Amino acid sequence: MRPLALTGLGIVSPLGVGRAAFFEALADPEQAARQAFEPTTEILLDSLPDAHTAEIWGWDPAHWLGKKGHRSFDRLTKFLIVAAKHALEDAGLKEGGEFLHLSPAEVGICSATAYGSLDAITELNRVAELEDPRYINPTRFPNTVINAAAGYVSIWEDLRAPNTTVVDGNCGSLDAFLGCATHLACGRARAFLVGGGEIVSEPLYLAMHHLGLLRDERGIGLIPSEGASYVVVEPSEQARARGATIAAELLGYGTHFEPPRSEALLAHASSTSVELAILGALGDAGLEPSAIDAISSSQSGLEELDAAEREGIVAALGPDVPILAPKLVLGESFGAAGAFGVASALGWMQGLPMAPRVGGRAPSSPPRHVVVTAVGYYGNVSAIVLRSGDRP
Amino acid sequence: MTRVFITGLGVVSPVGIGVDAFGAALEAGQTGAAEIAHFDHSAFERHIACEVKGFRPRDHLTAAETRRAGRCSAMALAAARMAVEHSGLSPERLQGERTGVIIGTTMGEADVLGELESAWLHQGNHAIEAVKIPRYGTTLLPIHVARAVGARGMVQTLPAACAAGNYAIGFAADQIRAGRADVMLTGASEVIEKLQFAGFVRLGAVSPDCVRPFDVGRKGLLVGEGAGMVVLESEAHLVRRGGVPIAEVGGYGLACDAHHITRPHPDGEGSLHAMREAIRTSGLLPEQVDFINAHGTGTHANDRVEAKVIAEIFGSHRPAVTSIKSMLGHCMGAASAIEAVSCVLSITRGLLPPTINIEEVDADCAHLDLVLDRTREGRADVVLNNSLAFGGYDAVLALAKPGLLPDPAEVLA
Repeated sequence: MRPLALTGLGIVSPLGVGRAAFFEALADPEQAARQAFEPTTEILLDSLPDAHTAEIWGWDPAHWLGKKGHRSFDRLTKFLIVAAKHALEDAGLKEGGEFLHLSPAEVGICSATAYGSLDAITELNRVAELEDPRYINPTRFPNTVINAAAGYVSIWEDLRAPNTTVVDGNCGSLDAFLGCATHLACGRARAFLVGGGEIVSEPLYLAMHHLGLLRDERGIGLIPSEGASYVVVEPSEQARARGATIAAELLGYGTHFEPPRSEALLAHASSTSVELAILGALGDAGLEPSAIDAISSSQSGLEELDAAEREGIVAALGPDVPILAPKLVLGESFGAAGAFGVASALGWMQGLPMAPRVGGRAPSSPPRHVVVTAVGYYGNVSAIVLRSGDRP
Repeated sequence: MTRVFITGLGVVSPVGIGVDAFGAALEAGQTGAAEIAHFDHSAFERHIACEVKGFRPRDHLTAAETRRAGRCSAMALAAARMAVEHSGLSPERLQGERTGVIIGTTMGEADVLGELESAWLHQGNHAIEAVKIPRYGTTLLPIHVARAVGARGMVQTLPAACAAGNYAIGFAADQIRAGRADVMLTGASEVIEKLQFAGFVRLGAVSPDCVRPFDVGRKGLLVGEGAGMVVLESEAHLVRRGGVPIAEVGGYGLACDAHHITRPHPDGEGSLHAMREAIRTSGLLPEQVDFINAHGTGTHANDRVEAKVIAEIFGSHRPAVTSIKSMLGHCMGAASAIEAVSCVLSITRGLLPPTINIEEVDADCAHLDLVLDRTREGRADVVLNNSLAFGGYDAVLALAKPGLLPDPAEVLA
């Protein structure tokens, strides 16, 4: 893969909104974990009153978007728009809503989600099921369409190059980097917002509860999380020519799918997929395993999946590479998780503490090359390779 | 950079299951419209849709696959199996990481979610059947197909609303051209579901009787469902196995209107760009396009904009234009994939399926060379498959008779 520059970051996370707030929280990982996970405050009161999540605490969209123009948007759409706005400004492409570099037709979106706007679907289903389907609000209906949230981002930010959404479970926002690299190579745009978003919703939480995936009193299981994160990705030579600060470069992408051994299974953990996705990304980047300084892993608290991932990492990179676990301070944000893994890696490259660490040696210096992994529940795994850039 | 060929077709549609039944129905101008059978529609003021009739998953899926898959996945898997069989690819050639699966949709397993939420909302948490939950994931559409054929490469769902089929086929072809895969199974799938039907009715987009694309009296769309899948292969892979290409995938164009979440840009800006890009990246000139499969939903906004875009790009050259949504309804995410299958049939058979139900062509669309009422014999060596979608998405895919397009390495250099 031809190296591509990451020149801006926008993030709406349980640890804070905006790059500065997110990195400030990452600087104290132990406090970050305490900060992120709390009893839910506003989403799940009807169902499970003791539910813990990693929400965007104190979320006030009017603070970020103004008071008008977003009444019909759902929670996911607002997360994505704020992340997009911040990323475009951080990259120096836009300021005060105006383009400083490039034009609307030259900037696109490669976005990911696993479950989309489930809250919007539930909102309409409540009306349809408990009142009358003829009463559903037509202005809210588009929110039920999976790609609508990213579509609203294009409208809000006036981005007219290709807008794509990808769903690949937990792997989606790393797959979005492949989408971006593909479309840039084909000349369909000159820059993309790349990343994804997810929301904590009542039906998703209930589903996790019924499937026995939620964190228990032993600390085993996941904590559902939400938020959105985008990076601006553009050709490195273009970024340098316009004087942009390159936070990191995307060097390679790999993916692999491995079916379960038993026909009776659907969900399963595959160390083979992890190994081959990482090796695929390294091959794409033209790097040897020894070049990798850290892994921004997909470890979430699900024992079987986590063990398979660690096994695959060791098979691909050996036992020493530090295995870092951003989900242990951010929660499991599914389709957004890869994007949060990338955002965390950018922080480590700047010298922030490389934690929490669940395997490998203790790192002695900020990493030069980081592999970000995303492990799906069905044997699907994706990985990308990042190289640190200019940002101090 | 390799050429990308279509070597297999599979389809589950409101007018027929399987390529032969589908092609025969299109040529005969049959409609898939009928009173809704899948859910209680008595509360609505609209009652007609284009459902897939007689689809029994067990005719196409194993017992285990049938247990695992929702209706959307089942239709995708059935169409994929047909496409693989049509291609003549042996199971050994599909197995491994050089084969990938990319499938488009709008809402995926919407009926599974509807069923789960209905039980929960009416009866409470305890009524949720945990065993049904895993069937919901939109992620699963390509996973089911990959498992069935032994593919170990990329598995992605591209939810691009009503342009999802073109998005998926175009992106899958990109991956072969980039050398990331030799074979891709791609297309799209969609099911009709009560909430989604209610939404279209509340938007005022649903016709009370039939779809009349480009007609002065058009009253909207009919919701449809189904799946269309194709097998894509690199030229080298095809040559190695001694296979036969059915059609070639040319370029495709994408754009976003950034204008309105459901309505197309009134000047068709994004659509113009997407269609020009599909032509340019195929190494073609507009006058080399023989036939356009229009998006042709039968809504006022879509048909007017689409006719305007075609006029602006093609001028005095008038490629034949049809909308098979007049027969299939709007199969949403699956629409442009099913229509891609129809385009390939036109390329191979030299038959252009009709736009039915037109009584008087709208003056805004009068410049179009519409294939009215009956199938027309005609050249379809180069075809454009047009699509627009919620989110302001525009996607146009070029398809052609094998070997007719310029070498992509020269075009895209």
